Amino acid sequence: MERTDSPVAHRANTRRAVVAAALGVFLAGCATNAPQDVFQPKGPNADKINNLQLIVFPLAGIVGIIVLALATYIFLKFRDKGQEIPSQAHGKPVVEITLTIVPALILAIVGVFTFRSVFDLAETADTEMVINVTGQQWWWEYDYPAQEKYGINTPIITSGQLVLPVGTKVLLRETSRDVIHSYWIPALNGKKDAVPGRINILRIEADKPGIYAGQCTEFCGLSHANMRMEAVALSKEDFAKWVANQQAAYKKPAAGTKAAEGETVFMNQCIRCHQVNGMKRDDGTPVIAAADENVYAGAAPNLSHLMTRNTFAGAMFDLLSEDCRDDVWEAKPEEFGAKYLAGVSAECLNETNLRAWLRNAPGVKPMYSDPAKLGPTGGKYRGMPNLNLTEDDIDKLVAYLLTLK
Amino acid sequence: MFSSGSKYLLGLSGLSLVAAVVYAFTVNPSDLGAIAILGLMVVVGFVAGIGLHDRSGDVATVEEAVAASAPAPRDSAWPMVFALGAALTLLGLATVPVVFLLGIVAMVAGGSEWIIGNWADRASVDPVFNNDRVRARAIGPLEYPGAAAVSLGIIAYLFSRVMLHAPKSAGALLFILFATAIVTVGFLVGYRPRFRGPVLAAVLSVGALVLVGAGVTTGILGEREQLAEASREDFYSAEHRECGEEEGKHFDHHANNKVNLRSAVLATVFVKDGKVYAEAIGLKDKLDTITVQRANNTNIMFRNLDEKEHRMVIHLGEAKVGDTGAVEKVETCTQLTGQDQEQVLTVNIPKPSAAFKDGYSITVPGAEGEVKVVVP
Amino acid sequence: MAIIERPTSEAAVPALATPSASLGALKRPMTESGWKSWLFTVDHKKIGIMYGTVAMFFFIVAGVEALLIRLQLAAPNGKILNADVYNQMFTMHATTMVFLFAMPMAAAFANYFLPLQIGARDVAFPRLNALSLWLFVTGGIVLNLAWFLGGAADGGWFMYAPNSGPIFSPSNGVDFWVVGLQIAGIASLIGSINLIVTVLNMRAPGMTFMKMPVFTWMILVVQFLLVFSLPVITVALVLLMFQREFGATFFDAAAGGDPLLWQHLFWIFGHPEVYVLILPAFGIISEVLPTFARKPLFGYPFVVFSGAAIGLVGFGVWAHHMFASGLGPVSVAVFSMATMAIAVPTGVKIFNWLLTMWGGKIWYTTAMKFAIGLVLLFTVGGLSGVTHAVAPSDTQQTDTYYIVAHFHYVLFGGMVFGLFSGFYYWWPKVFNRMLNERLGSWNFWLMFVGMNLTFGPMHILGLQGQPRRMYVWTPQRAGEGFFNLAFWNMVASIGSFILATGILVFLINVLVTSRKGEKAELDPWDARTLEWLTTSPPKAHNFDRIPVVHHLDEFFHRKYVEDTATHTMKRVADGADLVRAEEAAADKHIHLPGPSYWPLVLALGIGVLGLGTIYGIPIMVVGGVMILLGSFGWVLEPSVADDSEIDPPSLDGSTKEIAPLG
Repeated sequence: MERTDSPVAHRANTRRAVVAAALGVFLAGCATNAPQDVFQPKGPNADKINNLQLIVFPLAGIVGIIVLALATYIFLKFRDKGQEIPSQAHGKPVVEITLTIVPALILAIVGVFTFRSVFDLAETADTEMVINVTGQQWWWEYDYPAQEKYGINTPIITSGQLVLPVGTKVLLRETSRDVIHSYWIPALNGKKDAVPGRINILRIEADKPGIYAGQCTEFCGLSHANMRMEAVALSKEDFAKWVANQQAAYKKPAAGTKAAEGETVFMNQCIRCHQVNGMKRDDGTPVIAAADENVYAGAAPNLSHLMTRNTFAGAMFDLLSEDCRDDVWEAKPEEFGAKYLAGVSAECLNETNLRAWLRNAPGVKPMYSDPAKLGPTGGKYRGMPNLNLTEDDIDKLVAYLLTLK
Repeated sequence: MFSSGSKYLLGLSGLSLVAAVVYAFTVNPSDLGAIAILGLMVVVGFVAGIGLHDRSGDVATVEEAVAASAPAPRDSAWPMVFALGAALTLLGLATVPVVFLLGIVAMVAGGSEWIIGNWADRASVDPVFNNDRVRARAIGPLEYPGAAAVSLGIIAYLFSRVMLHAPKSAGALLFILFATAIVTVGFLVGYRPRFRGPVLAAVLSVGALVLVGAGVTTGILGEREQLAEASREDFYSAEHRECGEEEGKHFDHHANNKVNLRSAVLATVFVKDGKVYAEAIGLKDKLDTITVQRANNTNIMFRNLDEKEHRMVIHLGEAKVGDTGAVEKVETCTQLTGQDQEQVLTVNIPKPSAAFKDGYSITVPGAEGEVKVVVP
Repeated sequence: MAIIERPTSEAAVPALATPSASLGALKRPMTESGWKSWLFTVDHKKIGIMYGTVAMFFFIVAGVEALLIRLQLAAPNGKILNADVYNQMFTMHATTMVFLFAMPMAAAFANYFLPLQIGARDVAFPRLNALSLWLFVTGGIVLNLAWFLGGAADGGWFMYAPNSGPIFSPSNGVDFWVVGLQIAGIASLIGSINLIVTVLNMRAPGMTFMKMPVFTWMILVVQFLLVFSLPVITVALVLLMFQREFGATFFDAAAGGDPLLWQHLFWIFGHPEVYVLILPAFGIISEVLPTFARKPLFGYPFVVFSGAAIGLVGFGVWAHHMFASGLGPVSVAVFSMATMAIAVPTGVKIFNWLLTMWGGKIWYTTAMKFAIGLVLLFTVGGLSGVTHAVAPSDTQQTDTYYIVAHFHYVLFGGMVFGLFSGFYYWWPKVFNRMLNERLGSWNFWLMFVGMNLTFGPMHILGLQGQPRRMYVWTPQRAGEGFFNLAFWNMVASIGSFILATGILVFLINVLVTSRKGEKAELDPWDARTLEWLTTSPPKAHNFDRIPVVHHLDEFFHRKYVEDTATHTMKRVADGADLVRAEEAAADKHIHLPGPSYWPLVLALGIGVLGLGTIYGIPIMVVGGVMILLGSFGWVLEPSVADDSEIDPPSLDGSTKEIAPLG
């Protein structure tokens, strides 16, 4: 398990030492820095769960060791050494009752702690910020309702990365447009399903700036394995910058550039499903995507400010090349904000991933987008189809997408 | 092994199967025709099975003495049913399909009863054996469930006429009465042996008479006024809305105004002192703007805190009317909701607010203010 | 007008010419050897063996599926299976293991040994018993037909709505799944009623409930669990079938349905189902441990009642599978507590097994090793179970490999080890051959090591964040260091092949010993219960004389008496002698139920009807015809064969049939 030296994690460290003693062998066998390790809480909600785990796991371990020791003793002591067949005693009620009551008592103790933390974790009265989280096969959409306090005047919409300010109690309102998904950022809290027709709430809070990995954990069909998420915690000042940038007006690429040609390709192709806020036609009318006419669930990721995110396609692929990605992921908390807000530059862009995606999306991520198999949905896609773009178009699109910052 | 009579029948049955397969492949697999041919196969195959079972169709084994002393066949109404069925089938071909189906059913029922009865009569010289053992065992498993299904259907139909006519408040009472009567009779039959026989028959007859009488009467009188109104108002059509201050006679007066799906409500719109405001999960303030996820079925609850009845209207932009080029406002609304009552509307807004100049909003006719609905 | 002359009642009536042949439509298949004697049998022992064979076949099928899954996951971004096939693979692995291996294998043991253990000559309804078997086979075939007809079910064995709906699972796989499980469900339901009636009504004289062997007890509890839980899954399956085939919207939120309805229905069945799987294994080792420890089960009433308690409480904990689904804190807390409560009776069982061995004289046969394996591995699985009874902790663990580890320790380490213990223990009884103990030892150790290598690392994988049901995993989330998730995935995959080798050794053992195995003695283990009070394999009528029972462990107490001075047991009789004594005092005129075609016809008809729901009305009609004819044949056929149908008559002139039932 990773060791941290922040004050918040300090208490946990002491307990962790106890656990390490009890489960030494087990712990020694673990990966360091696994991004989704449930024993590495990075916020108060996950911390509460971890505190409970630190009671339950050692307790289970101790009981297990006692039972196994007893069993081994019995196996060696009472093996057939030619002794007489023993008396056919059917048991001793006192022993049996004791052995019923002792586990019941142990469990009752665990039960008290459990009971407390269940209600503790369900507390939402002191929420400071609300974010909508919508699951869809196979990506997550995040939108931020207008909240003056954080400078969010017009709602922000994004996907792939959930951006939140540190030290803020954030309430996620989860729902789903198609099947059941489950939202899970282990470092911040346990999982909560996103159920169509319902709104499930999940509270998260991050202690420090950084990226926290997660993954959809309710089986949601073909590409369930490729439905990932990342939560990005920014310091309050950085978060304000991020908000301001997300609300910034659309910057039309300068006429005559490759990016401008890319915008045309985008308007011919991508706009059928993907919205870019603020984009206008030459006559000044807003360009509105028709996702509801082409996608079964009714939406496709909104690509406004795409290059402020580090990932795309349900956080399956990185927009950053490997080195740049590591630079951001491994940044120290105080440097993290600046590095993250820099977004994706032309140098850092992971062109291989992006081009492969544009060339043939269903080829790199399994999706229901073969027109021959869309009978049940009346011809609507579940996922991105192969658009059969020419290499030239792809070049232009990449140039254009890079301007979406 | 196979008696000679059953051989023909089995052959015919097999032939129908082939015919059905051929029909299914050449004409239409899920067509009434294929089913009819398969039905023929069922009946004939079934009869063949019965023939095999009592081996009466085997000419060679029928002893002469038995043949000579065989009792005369008993009276049977089934040939008549069969003939009626044939007539109905023809009639149905010319008129409505229901009659055709009825005819088929009558023919199948009459035919199988006739044939089995006939066979059973010749199984032995002992009429009791023939009737109780051969005929009853063979046809009973078909007759009883069939008769039960038909009578249950009739009872359900008649009772539903009564329920549709009776006022809403009396409905529950009627239901309880009906159920109590059935339980009581069942209990008496179970625990009071004297209740069986003629007494039971009398009670059942009275019950049947009452049910038929009530059912026919109420059937003729028609549905209760509210329901009739509802159909006149075209209430069952999904498009039906009256979103102004006017009152729909049915639409507005038979709302439940109670909501059970609180866990799925994103935002609640209130009217208090003639003013409109909203509250949403996780946000403490009274809001004049709510944010709704795009392309998602979202439940919005309306709660009226004022004495006056109100309805909530959600304005969902505009839509073109067919190919005329004309544009029409799209809106949806709750029914009139009384004080401290609530209703839920489910909306799915596929396009962002930017798609319409005025965006989306919620208003309450007769109350001040509006709640903006923002779709990112 | 013709005048019809009616015969008067006084007319000379010849002798009643009632048909002399029986009322059956076809000649009964009375032969006692050859394939017909198996296909149409109603003998609980033959049915038990067939249950076992078919279940073993499906065990191998599901095992191969598991190996493919582990191959795919051995390295990141696996290329062996694509996403679609992988999803089908894990769905069918679980479905097959649960419904086509575990339940029928338990049914095999129950069918074979339950009547023997209670001193009965057959189950209460022998033809229904055959129907159960053939329905299970039909269900299994329908389920797996999907592989060849456009792809198997791909929604996970839990088949959560709305992902299982016609939009999100467009292939016919889920249709086959729904139909196959309904058919297999009928099989289990019929079987459970049959066994309940058998236990309640057909125990040998003197066998009170508290003298009933624990295996029989556990099977009885399981049958009650089935009777109460199967209707729920049937309802759920019917709803899903209507949703898929006939456009209903029970689980469609947009149309006012609720996806969580499925989850509740599924788990109200699904949790008791877990105990349906494990309790038979508990029963088996509760026979094996006392036999090889030479001591009666410690705290027999505690074991029995804890089994019943597990069954009962098992109905009140279903929502612990749904802690992440947004139930609200009150429900979560209540179900969390209930789930912890169920750990108590389970713990009682572990302690009782350990104390059974305490002070014993333990003989480490392969059967005993497997039984001990169960105790150890189940303890591990039980304890990891407690860690996710704690709801907040469960929200971190659920749907990760930690859960996979947990239930494989419970079900593989628990149930499968119990079943293998049963194989080795009862093999000589059923086949009159000993399984080779040397190969048995290899079998056990390979399975034990393989099992721990496969599922042990999954604890780590899960706690470090690897979710289940992913057709690939990415090195980006695997962490750093030598012992990263990639390492443990590889270990698990290697372990799975060691495990598979162990099972292969078992199959080799069966093959080798069937050719030139050592003939078994009548009482090779110095056993304790009534099934050993007859020949191996038992005769068609089980017991030559119905035994009268005076003790729990009747057979043991007929062999041993206690030395009052030393409180040790002195052998007074030999098992083989006891069996011979019974033979000498054999009953005459034992009436056995006659074999029948109709269960098979009926089962196939139901299968065809099921396929008809997928492929259209004409096929349904064909199925309907088969069902109709099957039912009629069944109704018209007497349960005991007519004298004229038995050829040749018994050599000594006595007939052996049991009273007409079923």
